Amino acid sequence: MKTLYFEEVEEGDELPPIDLLLTKDFVRTYAKTAGMDFPRFTDDEGARQEGLPGMIAPGVLSMGLLARLIGEWNQAAQITRIGTTFRSPVLPDCHIHLLGFVTQKDAEQHTAECDIWMENDEGERWVIGTATVVLPTRNS
Amino acid sequence: MARVIDLHLHSEVSDDSRAPVEAYLKWLARKRDERPLDGIVLTEHRQFDTRSDYRDLEDKYGMLILKASEVETEYGHVLVYGVNDAMLQRFDFSNVRLRAQEVIDEVARMGGVAMPCHPGRPTIGLIEHYENRPPLEGVVGVEALNGGSKKGENERVATLIDTYGYHAFGGSDAHLVSFVGICATEFEKEITNTEELVGALRAGGYRPVDFRVRRAPAQPASSGT
Repeated sequence: MKTLYFEEVEEGDELPPIDLLLTKDFVRTYAKTAGMDFPRFTDDEGARQEGLPGMIAPGVLSMGLLARLIGEWNQAAQITRIGTTFRSPVLPDCHIHLLGFVTQKDAEQHTAECDIWMENDEGERWVIGTATVVLPTRNS
Repeated sequence: MARVIDLHLHSEVSDDSRAPVEAYLKWLARKRDERPLDGIVLTEHRQFDTRSDYRDLEDKYGMLILKASEVETEYGHVLVYGVNDAMLQRFDFSNVRLRAQEVIDEVARMGGVAMPCHPGRPTIGLIEHYENRPPLEGVVGVEALNGGSKKGENERVATLIDTYGYHAFGGSDAHLVSFVGICATEFEKEITNTEELVGALRAGGYRPVDFRVRRAPAQPASSGT
């Protein structure tokens, strides 16, 4: 991880992609730790009884992973807003890819707007969103 | 003048996008080699944006910027091009239960064209509804290539087009700045305004174009690491 100052960040910069195998064990552990020990997040059969294709990842886990994308791009970026749209259930035991770009900068606020999303190997975007981050400046 | 146009995208005027129109244009200028677009059509959800004036941005970026709407019907979502006062008086665009046949017939009568979008998508796409309802009359074309579709959705549309002889067009359905122009429509004739767009969409002579670039994923690490 590294620190990027506002002056070093450009519109169009790609956030370094993160490629992960999202395992069921990881999702179960997350759900139980987060107090979300519900069948839809921990058990395939229980999830199917709720009409889902199998156990899914909690939405806040997906948001957390997308926040990690920003943190690994720039450890000094302070996320002040993150918003996501869930296009499809996130099904574990698959490869996911966390991707993003810096799309806008605000020189007065020293903020950057980022597109962020999670997709699978087929390029299907399961979660899309944006985040606003405050960046340090060389003069601050 | 424009030949390659993204016919389906949403700006911050829509309730589920934060993308300013100028950010879209800057992105397209930056990605010109990958996505050689000449114009965009803003299709805001359940409304027609009568307030925004993009003429200065058209001049600044050399892009055609037109406005349309995405409305919701019992047959799924429909893009309405050539929106005018008569249509806005006839229909409440915020109504999520508009009658699709009325929209198609009345929009055509009032000088526009209404075209179903992402028809392969469950619930909000035309194909699923054709399984339970009679086909709509007067449909001239459907969005055969949608940048937000999942695997199989765009492929299902090919059968629909073969069966009913619809024209095919494409759009990014972008809600994020960086997705603008990943899918678009290439016209045989230049388009300079909404009237020409409507005329061309009715007549045919266009095709969807796909500018998506598939990245080669790296070997993934486990989420637990």
